[in-house]
Amino acid sequence: MLRLHRGRIAQHRHDELLRAYLKQNLNELIQQKELIVDGRVKTQITTLDLPTLKYAEETSVLARGGRGGAGQGAGGGAGRGSGDEEVQVLSGLLGGDHHGRELRVELDFDEFVRLAQEVLLDQVALPAFHEPLRTGEVEVDEPPELDDLDRIGLRPDLNLEETMVASLLRNVRERRTLDYDVDLRLDGWYFVEDPTVFQHHRSLEVYVLDISGSMRGEYLSLVRKTIFILWYYLDRRYPTNLRRYVVFQDVAEEKTRDEFFCVESSGGTHISSGFEKAMELLEGVTEHDKFLFLFTDGETSSGDFDLAKRRYEEALGRFDLVCYGHVNPGGRGVGGFSEYVQEAARRHPNATFANLVDLETIRQALGDFLSFFQEEQRTGRLWTPTRRSSRASRR
Amino acid sequence: MDAYQAIIARIETLARARGLSFDPVYFRMTDSDELAEVASMGLPNRFIHWYWGGAYKELVTQQGKEVFSILELVLNTRPGYAFLRQSNTYLQNVLVIAHVFGHLDFFKNNHWYRKSNKNMLNEAELHARLIRRCAERYGRERVEGLLDALLAVATTVNAFERNPEARRRRLIYYLEERAPLEEWERHLLQSVREEAEYFDLIQRTHIINEGWATFVEAELLREVLSARDWATISVQLSARPAPYTIGYTLFKAIRDGRVPQRVGQGFAAALRVRRDYDDIQLIQDVLTEDLLHRLDLFVYDPKEKQKSYNLERVRDMLIEQKLFKGEPHIEVEPGTHQRDLLLVHRDEERKLDPKRIAQFLRAVHSLWRNPVKLRANGKVYTYDRRGFSST
Repeated sequence: MLRLHRGRIAQHRHDELLRAYLKQNLNELIQQKELIVDGRVKTQITTLDLPTLKYAEETSVLARGGRGGAGQGAGGGAGRGSGDEEVQVLSGLLGGDHHGRELRVELDFDEFVRLAQEVLLDQVALPAFHEPLRTGEVEVDEPPELDDLDRIGLRPDLNLEETMVASLLRNVRERRTLDYDVDLRLDGWYFVEDPTVFQHHRSLEVYVLDISGSMRGEYLSLVRKTIFILWYYLDRRYPTNLRRYVVFQDVAEEKTRDEFFCVESSGGTHISSGFEKAMELLEGVTEHDKFLFLFTDGETSSGDFDLAKRRYEEALGRFDLVCYGHVNPGGRGVGGFSEYVQEAARRHPNATFANLVDLETIRQALGDFLSFFQEEQRTGRLWTPTRRSSRASRR
Repeated sequence: MDAYQAIIARIETLARARGLSFDPVYFRMTDSDELAEVASMGLPNRFIHWYWGGAYKELVTQQGKEVFSILELVLNTRPGYAFLRQSNTYLQNVLVIAHVFGHLDFFKNNHWYRKSNKNMLNEAELHARLIRRCAERYGRERVEGLLDALLAVATTVNAFERNPEARRRRLIYYLEERAPLEEWERHLLQSVREEAEYFDLIQRTHIINEGWATFVEAELLREVLSARDWATISVQLSARPAPYTIGYTLFKAIRDGRVPQRVGQGFAAALRVRRDYDDIQLIQDVLTEDLLHRLDLFVYDPKEKQKSYNLERVRDMLIEQKLFKGEPHIEVEPGTHQRDLLLVHRDEERKLDPKRIAQFLRAVHSLWRNPVKLRANGKVYTYDRRGFSST
């Protein structure tokens, strides 16, 4: 029977409004100190609710103990109570209609990034990039031969046998049980193309963030915007991207993606430690294209200056491209270690320096970054020279 | 559907033998998607609004995760419509059928439901058409903006209130009477108000209605199912969403005589309660200290992380939720006959979120078209041509 899908039409309109709202408020959202919580971007959106009145503070609510309950009611939400006990809030005890229920908007992080890219790319007006050959409907003479194994890869290419063995070993190691309890992030092994044959199909990207000093909203905003636009290109250029994250102040630490987007600022600045950690992460990697993106305000501790210089030079020797972002929301002059890098970057073909002040400077930085792919751009296969970027006009 | 005709007839006969009665009903087989759609919109042919879209999206996600899935839906109309889900097992659908007969009996016999609008399916269709026509004529944006404002004030309906003075203190009725709306706008207001009243009734009887349906389901199925099937089902019965379990437990307590004497006991008393009570009365008369603990029902303070099993507090909070849908209690200040509309937040102790006040007053202003004031948080907030301000 033909049926009008009212639910989907309503959802479509809902999502349209949601996107419009998020786009309008992107700047505010992107500055949230804790951008990812439980893998999702939480928003304080109220406009997608009806304009009803709400209490200012959390007040007492009617609730039930959560034990044994399979589902939550149409109007219920589970919260944490005292201790570890579940408390099931009976908000409204509704039926039929949905008034009075808080619709808090949450986005999957990837969805958020896509939305941000949509807004940002429109603003920076850089060239568009075609999807990599492998994912498009392009005729290929032979399918790629997946005859090598790696810890990263595409889900369909999972090597079950190796993964199970890895899981078994990990469980013996960690829990002392001979048990399969697969955690793909830790145990996954994938079939991949031989990296020596398909040299440019994978990237290693190390993101290093200086978290000393004041990580004000605008600072975070500039860094995240730059990263999101970088991802737009890197995702499309490489079928697989291995991304690793480092934060540093006095010492450097590797973080997960989610932690990287939720960092607190503290401590002094040893830029050298950031470079050191990034280079440590190169141990054993087989990726051909290796990128280092470092974001800092450049004010390294005085004792660290010479060491940082040396580490920077070393990093240039080990990464295919070292992008240094001087995060400068106030638009002041470039000094300190950043001044040194600005100078050095002119001499090195695989170094870029960006003075990140606003969107326009992000655009310039991305232009410099994209020149790394100059050869490909010249042959024009993957690139469409659209829009007004000066670098985009070759074909 | 044919596979179920025999069991439908059998359950119906059993129900009638127990003293239940109902209007005719159509059973229809449908998919999860349509169930989520109807559940989010409240009625299958209601006007389309982005707000239901958010709820729909959420329900679809939930259905997918099987955390909470809707097995059935039944509409309070004459004739009644009941939806069964295709992907249910045969046993689940038998359960659903018994549950539906509980609802149908409630729709026909409950004092408040007898007065309800049984023609809502047709009226909602007419409202939807009216709204579509208005959108074509006056523009989608304008109609959507109007609907947003109307739905925001629609929470002030009270389907039970008959006193004209008391009704006029509720914002939506006041606006209907006095706001300088164009004719088509007033028609839209009336449409939204009628639908909101329909849902107000459902909301105000949610516990007793679901409780009764679950109770009937259990009573009937005990006779229909094998001991083993019944054992599985009875485990499920205690694991349903809160309104079901609370209502079910209360009806069981009435049957077993574990309630105050004035309520009576046995199945006959349960039948009387389903006829005369709404949620507030049910809670007031039937909920005891013992049942409160058995249900693990309490008032929870999220700041102090404390639970209170005080019977009075639980009752009061529930009544408040029923009367004002958990939203702040605002009233039109009586005696305001001038150009300005003065609203008062009755629970002065509790602070309202100023951002929400601004949004709400803007919405009300779009209907009232003259200055709108709200007394809350120890201040007077105003929305007029110049925008939002407070003194």
